[in-house]
Amino acid sequence: MDSVRRLWYRHSPQLFISELLEKRWMEPIVPFTLMCLVFLAFVLTIPGYAGWPNLQQLMRSFPEQALVAMAMAVAVLAGGIDLSVGAVFAMANFLALYLLQILGLPFPVMIIGVLAFGALVGAINGGLIAYAKTRPFLTTMVVLIVVRASYNKLTTAYTRELASASETSDAWDFLGIGTIFGIPVNMVCLVLIGLAAHIYLTRLRPGLQIMAVGSSRKAARHAGIDVKRSLFTAYVVSGLLTAFAGILYAARQNSSGTDTGVGWEVNALAAVVLGGISLAGGRGTIARALIGAVIIFLLINGLVQLGTHGSLTTATIGFLLIAAVGFNVKWQKNKGKVLQKIYVSPTLVEFTPPPSIARDAGTAFAENDRLHAAEAIAYERIEGPEDVILDRQDNLYTVNRNGSIIRFLAPDYEVREEFARIGGRPLGMAMDREENLIVCVAGMGVYGVRPDRSVFKVTDETNRSWLRLKDDSRLYLADDLDIAPDGKIYFSEATIRYDLADWALDGFEGRGNGRLICHDPATGRSTTILKDLAFPNGVCLAHDAQSVLWASTWLCRIHRLWIAGPRAGQCEILVDNLPGYPDNINRASDGTYWLALVGIRSPVYDLAMADPGFRVRMVKQIPPDEWLCPGINYGCIAKFDDDGTVLETLWDPGGHSHPTITSMREHKGHLYIGGLENNRIGRLRLPGADPTWTSWASYWDDASPSAGRRAPVREMA
Amino acid sequence: MSKGSIFVKSAAAALAAGLLAAATLTPARAADPREELHASFEKAVKGKTVAWVPVWLGVLESTWTRVMKAHFDDYGMKLVVRDPNFKSDVQLQAVSTLINEKPDVLIVQNPTANLLARELKRAMDAGIYVVQVNMASNTLTDAYVGADVPKLGRMLAKDVVAECGGGKGSGKVAILEGEATAAYSLDMAKAATEVLKTDPTIKLVSSQPANWDANKAGDITTTVLQQHPDLCAILSVWGPMTAGAAQAVKNAGKQGQVKIYVASDGQPADCDLLEQGLFTKNLSYRADTQGEAIVNAVLGLLQNGDKPGSKKLAYYTTNYWVKSKDDRAYCFTVPKE
Repeated sequence: MDSVRRLWYRHSPQLFISELLEKRWMEPIVPFTLMCLVFLAFVLTIPGYAGWPNLQQLMRSFPEQALVAMAMAVAVLAGGIDLSVGAVFAMANFLALYLLQILGLPFPVMIIGVLAFGALVGAINGGLIAYAKTRPFLTTMVVLIVVRASYNKLTTAYTRELASASETSDAWDFLGIGTIFGIPVNMVCLVLIGLAAHIYLTRLRPGLQIMAVGSSRKAARHAGIDVKRSLFTAYVVSGLLTAFAGILYAARQNSSGTDTGVGWEVNALAAVVLGGISLAGGRGTIARALIGAVIIFLLINGLVQLGTHGSLTTATIGFLLIAAVGFNVKWQKNKGKVLQKIYVSPTLVEFTPPPSIARDAGTAFAENDRLHAAEAIAYERIEGPEDVILDRQDNLYTVNRNGSIIRFLAPDYEVREEFARIGGRPLGMAMDREENLIVCVAGMGVYGVRPDRSVFKVTDETNRSWLRLKDDSRLYLADDLDIAPDGKIYFSEATIRYDLADWALDGFEGRGNGRLICHDPATGRSTTILKDLAFPNGVCLAHDAQSVLWASTWLCRIHRLWIAGPRAGQCEILVDNLPGYPDNINRASDGTYWLALVGIRSPVYDLAMADPGFRVRMVKQIPPDEWLCPGINYGCIAKFDDDGTVLETLWDPGGHSHPTITSMREHKGHLYIGGLENNRIGRLRLPGADPTWTSWASYWDDASPSAGRRAPVREMA
Repeated sequence: MSKGSIFVKSAAAALAAGLLAAATLTPARAADPREELHASFEKAVKGKTVAWVPVWLGVLESTWTRVMKAHFDDYGMKLVVRDPNFKSDVQLQAVSTLINEKPDVLIVQNPTANLLARELKRAMDAGIYVVQVNMASNTLTDAYVGADVPKLGRMLAKDVVAECGGGKGSGKVAILEGEATAAYSLDMAKAATEVLKTDPTIKLVSSQPANWDANKAGDITTTVLQQHPDLCAILSVWGPMTAGAAQAVKNAGKQGQVKIYVASDGQPADCDLLEQGLFTKNLSYRADTQGEAIVNAVLGLLQNGDKPGSKKLAYYTTNYWVKSKDDRAYCFTVPKE
């Protein structure tokens, strides 16, 4: 039973759904599903519906409506509306027949003439709306009435000629009834124009400007976009698309009836809304308009094929549209909320009681006051020194909340200067052989700062895992790193599901959302070497450089990953069941390691971790400031050796000077202490420590005693 | 009792049965002309599919449909109905789809003379008999069933001339067309106009399409009456939309003064309006009998066996004047369901 429970929580479907909902292509999921359902319903009820002849027929009948819906979509995306599409379409249809059949003009002249008419009406719409600042709704409605009236006059005047027109030419017939590889010509036109329109609106400057104007006219103006010209262009494009639809329709139907184009603006608008394009403008795609148009088209066509009475068809479509649009609006509005509700997906973590930290417990973890002796450096001159490091000249570097690297100059650390500005939230640091500062930057990746202060990117991506919906090739929360003698950079990414501001939420999950990544400067490529790790945090290369130690914060463990020697690639637990949440790990002068415990476990929270359902209810039902959180207010610094034995701890009870300790660095007999939320860097003299030992030398100075030293475990193996 | 005797007995029985059967069957082989006719009729029509695409399912079209269905059901034929509900693009889709489905006969009512022209030809090429009803296409097909439209126009116009021509009254006449590009409306208006022109005292003051819509017909009539308060007569190509025109005449206080001549499909409302004095005279072609004519045309095509498109037949229906209550017989009744 327990194993089923574990399995359930490990592979929670919630995880999949929430990542699915995050996808941008999920936005039109409702209309898309409806489209598929409608098609499927007709496949099941109408014999031969999915057969090629019928599909061909559908493809031939659809494009004109689709083009008109696209025209409407362009106007709506620009923040307006174009009600004149129906009338312009009818008029273009008439003009095409008139120019070709009655005047007998050549085919290309007819095309140019009709398109010019569409552009002209678009220009009138656009000119009035953009330059005379009239309201789109009223303007296009007036144009609709004017064009429609002219259409009625003209068709009446040319009734006899139109009714007896039966001139055909090869080009005309090809456009009307021809096929290209079995696909009707007008469908091919639709696909090409649709692609072009999509590229225009999403890739090309004028189209992007239309979208920008639709999203926010004010912002677009501030960004230097010619708002008027963009609006004008949008209506001209709309007119052109409609006019082209009229030509295709004329070629196919050869008829100009009084009902041509009547109500098409309503259908087009319905398609746009059904596709989920915001009537407020700026949000939506051409594809969505097409999805909406397909639904309406298939419904009408299918219901007629089923032999439904006309009035029933209309009623059914009206009802379905209301239902779909209503649901879609709700969906668009609440998708974010649903995502929020189900995004946090806690898993099962079963702890055993940790060693006691009571003062009289007699364990290595027994609380003491040793950190009280730490003096404060840079007091109130630094914000959130998550990590600290010193160079060969004893200068002290630390990270700042605002995205910069701050340097305090030796020997007294009174002079503060901004060493480099990277951006993001710099966290863990390491120094390479060339004395470049390599920094993990949350939200950006791994960056480097040369001694001359120039900033360079090390990496901001890794390989993508193919079976995951979420694109995990980007680095979300690079946390800490260390560098192997061969220059390879091992760094942890704490979680890919949350950003730094929400890192505590990742703690509620307790799930393996993080990973360990190796960047090889030789190839410039980064590879994920371990994944599904529960908040991997501190990373430290062992003194013998044969393995990498890394801490899993939420599981309170330290792991050892062998990177060289016979066990290379294997990962083992080095320290388990720590009484607190481990953060950074760094080398100590005596061949052991310093470990920052960012917080201390409590029995209540351990219990909560064993009950994912409780945490789900908590996250869903009560406001964030009342959530039960892991205790990260105060912790301690511990020291452990290569065997995983914790030797001693340094405490600041109550966290008065050093709450949330995230790192410490030993340098020439002193320990420098950093904290994620602190306003100072602590400096503690270490009695008995090697006063000449520096971290840089232990990595890169071949004369250093710890360099090349072999761990006992390795010798035993 | 031995097995042998059983065998003999059963063999004798079989022989006797065989002789008896032969004796009873022999007369059937001799030709019974009436049964043979019936057999060949059944062979030609039974199980055949007839597809029917009206402009919409109004009273007129529903009557055709009802009559057709009753007959086709009786003959063991299948009737498939597609209702585009007055949308010409949907109607074109419906017809195109039907051609792919290959019914044996396709019956259409053309909203305009060109809309289906290409598809009807394609249907015949695909081996489907095509019958057009009342509203024709530019493409001639296997059969046309319906009113002799120009004749309707001429008959109505002659009566109008008799009423308004020869210097009697103002001589002003208005024609209410249906859909401008529909053959039915186009041809009738054209034929009527030609007759009206033969009398120089007749002035055709308006000839406008009302798109089969009573509201639009009412609007047009109101306008015409404002411009020509002394209008003598209105000649309308279809009954239901004329109701709006008659109402406009009544509202203008000119009921009885402006005569209304209507080409009627014989739907009950047309006779009601006449009996109320709103219409002056109906020329009815009776949709129910037209329905039967359609059925007969279909039966003819199926039994004839000619290749679709090889002959162009016409089945013109006969027109009857409806002048009073006594002519109610020329309006059909819609049975209650």
